[in-house]
Amino acid sequence: MANIEIDAPGTSQLFIGNEAIARGALEAGIGFAAAYPGTPSSEILGSLAQVAKKIGIYAEWSINEMVAMEAAAGASFAGIRALAAMKQNGINVVSDFLANLVMSGTGKGGLVLVSCDDPSAISSSNEQDTRPIAKWLDIPLVEPGDFQEAKDMTKWLFDLAEELGTLCILRSVTRIAHARGNVKLGELPTKQHKAHFDQIHDLKNVMPTTFMPLPSSLRHFFLHMKLDKAREKFESSPFNRYVGPDKADLLIITSGSCWLYSQDAIEALKLRDRVGILKLGTLWPLPERFVTEHLNKSDKVLFVEEIDPFLERSVMELAGNFPSNAVRPTFYGKRSGHINAYGELNPDMVIKAVSTILGLTYQARDIDYGKKAEALVKSSVPERSMTFCAGCPHRATFWSIKNALKLDGRDGFVTGDIGCYSLALGPAGFFQVRTMHCMGGGAGVANGLGKLGQFGFDQPVIAVVGDSTFYHATIPALINGIYNQSKFILVILDNSATAMTGFQPHPGTGMTAMGEPTKVVSMEALCRSLGAHVEVCDPFDFKGTTNTLLKMMADDGGAKVAIMRRQCELVRAKKEKSPYKVHVDIEKCIGEDCGCDRLCTRIFLCPGLIWDKKTGKSRIDEVICSGCGVCVDICPQGAIIREAV
Amino acid sequence: MATKAKGCKELVSEVIETRLCALCGACTGNCPYLAYYKGRIALLDNCSRTDETQCYEYCPRTHIDMNAISQKIFGMPYGENEMGTVKKVFMARATDTIIKKKAQYGGVVTALLSLALAEGLIDGAVLTKTSDDKTPAPFLAQSVDDVLQCAGSSYMACPVLGRYNQIPKEDSSQLGIVAMPCQVLSVAKMKAVPPENRVSIDNVKLVIGLFCTWALSPDKFYQFLKENLDLSKVKKFDIPPPPANRFDVYTLSGKTSFPLEQIRKFTMPTCAYCLDMTSEFADISVGSVEGTEGWNTVITRTDAGVDLMEMAKKKGKLQIDKLPSSNLEHLKEAALLKKKRAMNEIVKKSGDKNNLLYLGLSPGLTEKLLA
Repeated sequence: MANIEIDAPGTSQLFIGNEAIARGALEAGIGFAAAYPGTPSSEILGSLAQVAKKIGIYAEWSINEMVAMEAAAGASFAGIRALAAMKQNGINVVSDFLANLVMSGTGKGGLVLVSCDDPSAISSSNEQDTRPIAKWLDIPLVEPGDFQEAKDMTKWLFDLAEELGTLCILRSVTRIAHARGNVKLGELPTKQHKAHFDQIHDLKNVMPTTFMPLPSSLRHFFLHMKLDKAREKFESSPFNRYVGPDKADLLIITSGSCWLYSQDAIEALKLRDRVGILKLGTLWPLPERFVTEHLNKSDKVLFVEEIDPFLERSVMELAGNFPSNAVRPTFYGKRSGHINAYGELNPDMVIKAVSTILGLTYQARDIDYGKKAEALVKSSVPERSMTFCAGCPHRATFWSIKNALKLDGRDGFVTGDIGCYSLALGPAGFFQVRTMHCMGGGAGVANGLGKLGQFGFDQPVIAVVGDSTFYHATIPALINGIYNQSKFILVILDNSATAMTGFQPHPGTGMTAMGEPTKVVSMEALCRSLGAHVEVCDPFDFKGTTNTLLKMMADDGGAKVAIMRRQCELVRAKKEKSPYKVHVDIEKCIGEDCGCDRLCTRIFLCPGLIWDKKTGKSRIDEVICSGCGVCVDICPQGAIIREAV
Repeated sequence: MATKAKGCKELVSEVIETRLCALCGACTGNCPYLAYYKGRIALLDNCSRTDETQCYEYCPRTHIDMNAISQKIFGMPYGENEMGTVKKVFMARATDTIIKKKAQYGGVVTALLSLALAEGLIDGAVLTKTSDDKTPAPFLAQSVDDVLQCAGSSYMACPVLGRYNQIPKEDSSQLGIVAMPCQVLSVAKMKAVPPENRVSIDNVKLVIGLFCTWALSPDKFYQFLKENLDLSKVKKFDIPPPPANRFDVYTLSGKTSFPLEQIRKFTMPTCAYCLDMTSEFADISVGSVEGTEGWNTVITRTDAGVDLMEMAKKKGKLQIDKLPSSNLEHLKEAALLKKKRAMNEIVKKSGDKNNLLYLGLSPGLTEKLLA
């Protein structure tokens, strides 16, 4: 990660969007930052935590987004500027608190929530849009259109949030969060943080020093006043601007990374003097006067935005309020089908929409070019499916789960969850996962299934969660399973890291975000204290793990816990050498013959194993093999050999 | 007629799901896709093979050409004798007092195995051993002591051949197998067409087959026992010869008996479709002797079987006597009855006199047995 605390105002640094946001928060003088990791948001807290100790701020990985937001609010109440960061799913986790926080108002320290959306759900279970939620919850929302704005807007948003006394949201998307660009730095504050929860009522301030949503009608009224104030500020915000001719054939209204795509599209079509772009940075509340002024630039308006038609609906709502004799432009966007109503956009899609509306023929490139390029790239890329890493303990766990369920023979199944192990819905986990929704959701679903015995349900249910997910959202579901005696097995994949998002520490790791050693919250002690029958297995011990699961499935009683403990292979490999050197004894390997049928490369599918078509034998990919040696125990012919290194 | 090669999917659909599976274990042990667990063969993953599938090939409930098998083992087609190909029939019992004490009846199997091991005819034997929890489990005995530990029967089916299949293919040890008729049939299939990528079937020097009218389900019957007895105190199971009509369990504190009717419902469904009471393709077949406690009925079928019996007699390991003719007649009657019953059940199941499910039998014999 880049050094975000470099004290060199006026110089340019290459930052990813998330680092730019973190830098903006530093320039705003935050004292407190909390987050739960989630792609594409993780580097915000990651980069803050890296410098936190040095510059005297506090940063933590909280156990979930709700606690992160609440903790940040706590800091705000005591006068410290605070930031909470999360991916779009986190907004759901925290929304109950948000709905009340907007009513109570924030403290003297400005409070900002950064939500990173993931159009196309590249690293997510869904492509939820934060913008309508902000509208629904009455929270001012802004969105940077480039990397410089990501930093500048963050800094500015803290001032605004503090002035309004309400939480503000900065929305970002993957292509801002993870793309890289030059950012001109500003000054870092020198102010020392002093936290105090001010108990004395300040008569000059409309906000009382109690932070509660009551009396709700009055609070709601105050909140609307704050939104009006925000709207007024937004009317003259430099983050909203129009680029283009005074009278345009087409007006594009856009924001965020779509602003970049729109510029590219207009450039490619050479339409700078025919098409104008209204780039909005402050999206909610909509700066109505500013937008209305620009709507008369053209009689055709195209909304270029990803996921939901948020700007489209907001502007159409605005136009709906125009006087009856007013001239309304024709609106194009998701509603008209010119822009996809799902997934990420790109400049080509914008080109297509603009060309269609203006009746232009534009061939971005030779039709075959794409295919040729793809074929060319594919020829030099090894064939590999989406799978667990070589040596990943999850593969071993799902191997045992699969075998245990099959041996048990009652048609048992897995309710899945969110993490690397979500891949188990495909070949990586032998197609074992049957449900997958949100963090903690699998264990909740298992609670219901585990109570269907009276309706003849006898299928074993295994809820699989990661270690971080366990702390994040699974504990209430486990308590419910014990309290209500629901029959399921909670399998916790304890690989000692929040692996999918970049190995962030969690309460089971004994390490904080700022690198300080801390108490380990033992998951087995916790589960046992709840009254659960707990077994701890080594997933690389196939026999032991399978037998433990079989026994737990056969036993009566409520929720049980099986902890699969083995460190994430990527974490292990950073610290130590491979335990084994693995090779295939080609004399023993029978390949596709009866008695094997390529079990290792057809079913087990560790990427460290390769099927050699020429020899009809398996072999080890020495570059990819991590030397974990677990495949030795699946080879039915004893043909895979491991030698201790 | 060339039949389409079949694999594990067909094994599951034609044998396991139709409850014809005898739990012999022949499809397990060296196949990573099929595994035995608690009275069931489970398919862990789909094998994609269709051209050469040993799981299907060696199953005693997939197509068997009885004449071809008989030709291979005995050098003659499958005959009409109720007890299969017979060299001699005796009654016998072990002379060793320790064996006698441990044995189910006359201790002949234990005595013969011990002798074969001691004389180096075999290096090990695949047997059924009653585990500490009283479930039967396959066991590779490699010493006389090991063999003694396996004496006695639990009357439950046990996937013995899975243990045989687990023996590394490069292992050249000479082996004995003690098996039920269904398992003997599977071994006979292997002898007829030797398996590949497994230990050589030629290593099997001795097949001792047990008499069997039916076997009990190791899952359901075991559950029944568990619910009715303290299994940790069980010493021996016994079904005394007719007319006792009961299942006896000897425990540390005495004997508990269950009426045989109560036990019969735990019979493996597949036993109803089995024609073989006396393990017709074994080298030696051994059973009890009706009305005479402490003795075994012994049938020798092959030269290997005859040689071993002679040696046992010469070395004084067995006391051998003539089986009374009334017993022999009764045995034949019972064996024929099993064949007839099974044939009728098979036709009932298939619904077609010309469809004998797995059985390939000459039309003449088929007609005779169905009469």
